Amino acid sequence: MAEVAEKVNFKVKDYKSDIAPIWCPGCGDFGVVNAIYRSLAELQLPPEDVAIISGIGCSSRLPGYMATYGFNTVHGRILPIATGVKMANPEITVIGAGGDGDGFSIGMGHIPHAVRRNVDMTYIVMDNEIYGLTKGQLSPTAGRGDITKTSIYGSVERPIQPVKFMLGIGATFVARTYAGNPKHMADVITAGINHKGFAFIDAMSSCRTFKGVDQNTYLRENTYYLEDTDHDPTDKAAALEIANDADGLAAGIIYKEEIPSYDELYANVQEKSQQRGVPELKEVLKRYVP
Amino acid sequence: MKSHDLVIGLAGSGGDGVITAGQLLVNAAASEGLHSFMLKSFGPQIRGGESSCRVRMSKNQIFSHGDRVQVLGVFNWNDFKRFRGEMHFTNPLVVVQDSADKTPEEKIPVDTELERITYKIPLGELAKEKAGTALAKNMVMMGALCALFDLPIEGMRNGIMKKFKKKSQEVIDSNLAGFNAGFDYVKENIEKIDDLRFEYTPSEAKVVMEGNEAFAYGALYAGCRFFGGYPITPSSEVMEWMSRELPKYGGTMVQAEDELSAIGLIIGASFAGKKSMTSTSGPGLSLMSEQIGLASIAEIPIVILDVQRGGPSTGIPTKTEQSDLNQALYGTHGDANRVVLAPADVADCFDVALEAFHVAEKYQVPVIVLSDQYIGQRKETFEQTALFGNGHANHQVTQRLLPTEEELKDYKRFRDTETGVSPMTYPGVKGGMYQAAGIEHTELGAPSSDVDVHAKMTEKRFRKDKYISKELNFVRFYGPEDAEVGVVAWGSSKGAVKEAVNRLNEEGYSVRAAVPQVLAPFPQEKFEAWLEPLKKVLVVELSYTAQFYKYLKGFLRFGDRELRSYARSGGAPFDVEEIYEQIKQEFA
Repeated sequence: MAEVAEKVNFKVKDYKSDIAPIWCPGCGDFGVVNAIYRSLAELQLPPEDVAIISGIGCSSRLPGYMATYGFNTVHGRILPIATGVKMANPEITVIGAGGDGDGFSIGMGHIPHAVRRNVDMTYIVMDNEIYGLTKGQLSPTAGRGDITKTSIYGSVERPIQPVKFMLGIGATFVARTYAGNPKHMADVITAGINHKGFAFIDAMSSCRTFKGVDQNTYLRENTYYLEDTDHDPTDKAAALEIANDADGLAAGIIYKEEIPSYDELYANVQEKSQQRGVPELKEVLKRYVP
Repeated sequence: MKSHDLVIGLAGSGGDGVITAGQLLVNAAASEGLHSFMLKSFGPQIRGGESSCRVRMSKNQIFSHGDRVQVLGVFNWNDFKRFRGEMHFTNPLVVVQDSADKTPEEKIPVDTELERITYKIPLGELAKEKAGTALAKNMVMMGALCALFDLPIEGMRNGIMKKFKKKSQEVIDSNLAGFNAGFDYVKENIEKIDDLRFEYTPSEAKVVMEGNEAFAYGALYAGCRFFGGYPITPSSEVMEWMSRELPKYGGTMVQAEDELSAIGLIIGASFAGKKSMTSTSGPGLSLMSEQIGLASIAEIPIVILDVQRGGPSTGIPTKTEQSDLNQALYGTHGDANRVVLAPADVADCFDVALEAFHVAEKYQVPVIVLSDQYIGQRKETFEQTALFGNGHANHQVTQRLLPTEEELKDYKRFRDTETGVSPMTYPGVKGGMYQAAGIEHTELGAPSSDVDVHAKMTEKRFRKDKYISKELNFVRFYGPEDAEVGVVAWGSSKGAVKEAVNRLNEEGYSVRAAVPQVLAPFPQEKFEAWLEPLKKVLVVELSYTAQFYKYLKGFLRFGDRELRSYARSGGAPFDVEEIYEQIKQEFA
């Protein structure tokens, strides 16, 4: 990133690929990809230093629309693959982008581990509470009573609440933002990328096709902004209270704490391992000659 | 009787130090230039419980563990019971046991048909008296064995000093005192009535390694700098080795939360430009299956080591089998190219690791290496010169093909080339940005569901096979070229097959064997040339369902040759005698 000194001045278009999104008109994911372009331009990150890793789902088509490095992987494995990228090359800015099903259903098992390692990456979950790509089945974040193609009598399951869950497992950066406000979303993403550690962003995104316009209306009308309040993001108790708030959807940085990231700590491991000298590779054989 | 090839079995409870004693024996043999093998076997207990080991040492080169134990060292007959089924003995059998063990003659769990020559040594008593602790029982046993059978005594003493070097002088002295006590006791009190004496002349010390160590070492040497894995028997030693060694060389070891994550980690790391691998066993490979397809379609180089164990499901985690072949060859949905390699012994694990990384990186393919518990966890000696620049291994350390400046101007990550291999960038390379994808894609990496694109890109990925096969087609051949009986085996079965074929050749039977190191893409031409003079072919493997036999039958042109399969479920590796008898049937 030191080369930024040559003043290339990256613009939004420098992060945009030639491929037109397959998303339906009115899809919230347009707002998310635009916010990512904006954020990267604001941070002036050279596109070659950014890797966006996605899984499977409507939202996971996102890397295709980026002119950075990208990897559209398989369902549910964003976090292991993104962790591999970051740990292999800590200089790279790693962003995970996927949907609620990819993250909180099939990929759920990986989340607590990425969080406890505090992998330095930003994980954006585009949550529309529905399976869009497979055309309208029940999502793990869908509300009880939701009627979908696989819950035609109304869902009897309680939803996963992403923000509450992330706070509960000790995430060091938890934020929520709304796709209908790309400026706010870009600011939150920028803060996430700047956070040295695992940044979780709950990107409330609506699905026009399977949830109708009402979903977006609901999000717009019920979202309130934490910068308009006196919320202190370092206050965990206050953060939990926000997460439990049934009356409104708080957008902004809900919680943030600074602890060393995985790659920083692993650098110490490397240093420690080398303290007593490092033999040449061919010399290692001698250890096995009794 | 002077012996140049001795097999010693040891059995006791965890606290008896059976494994330590076995390791000392192997090290002592190796330090005096002998060839040696050591197999370990444990009861199901996590700690303590019964343990046994079998050490073979020989003046001449050996390829297997030795079918029959000639000398059995028993700390406690009760603990021996568990291993009764897995140890076969010579007749007569020499037994060295603790005189404190009062098991009545009729209760001794050894075939009564066998003539037994027994020496009773007060192991525990001598240990307490001379070494100051009953823990030194194993040293007393070693001393006694050395005195009785002329084992490498200097090697033993040096080994004891080396082993406890990091502890206090007191510990070294105590262990040596135990060893000497056993040795002296035999010299002063035992009248030797068997005639077994080990005879050898010392030569240059040999390397002692386990297959799992050899593979990890080979991988590190090949430039592997990222390891993601999940502990599983019998492969965890690879991960432990990497955890200790990788960070020294600037590499990274991540212990994943499961095998889905393990393979994801290495795919991510390899995408980011690092040579990456994981190690696992059958159940882990099952969980990784889906992402083997991802590495195939996204053309990401990765190496997966499967140290096979008895299956299916949990099966027998601590014992060997060759039954993951189908899973390695075919596991994952869709048409997914991959390379499958199989090391045949411990030193070969090093070579195969180098080859695996060479081919993964050069051709941007997933490589699955099928080792097994028999190779992975046994100790085996080899010459110090065996690993570097000597032998068949492709010792070039290969780097990935990067695009040229010119190619970067109009970069297509999946450019359709003659060999199917397209120059590959990684994050951080300016102008090389692309999207890797599990979804079918164009040469540019753009998602596509066009049938023509799918057909073209699938063919491109499989086109690599032809070029891989041109340079990676090593097959071990044994026996006379004009033989009419042929034996085919793969992986760790090589040892017993080679010894059996050698023995039969010495006895005048004209038989030859072939052991391919590359299982996919299979070296068909080479193999069919080998088949040419044969009238009968026997395929041997440790797989109840004869996976290898069926695989070969699917595409090899056997013509009207008589084909027979000898396939049994694993647990115990093949004995030489077993294969010998099977081959002999072909001459009936």
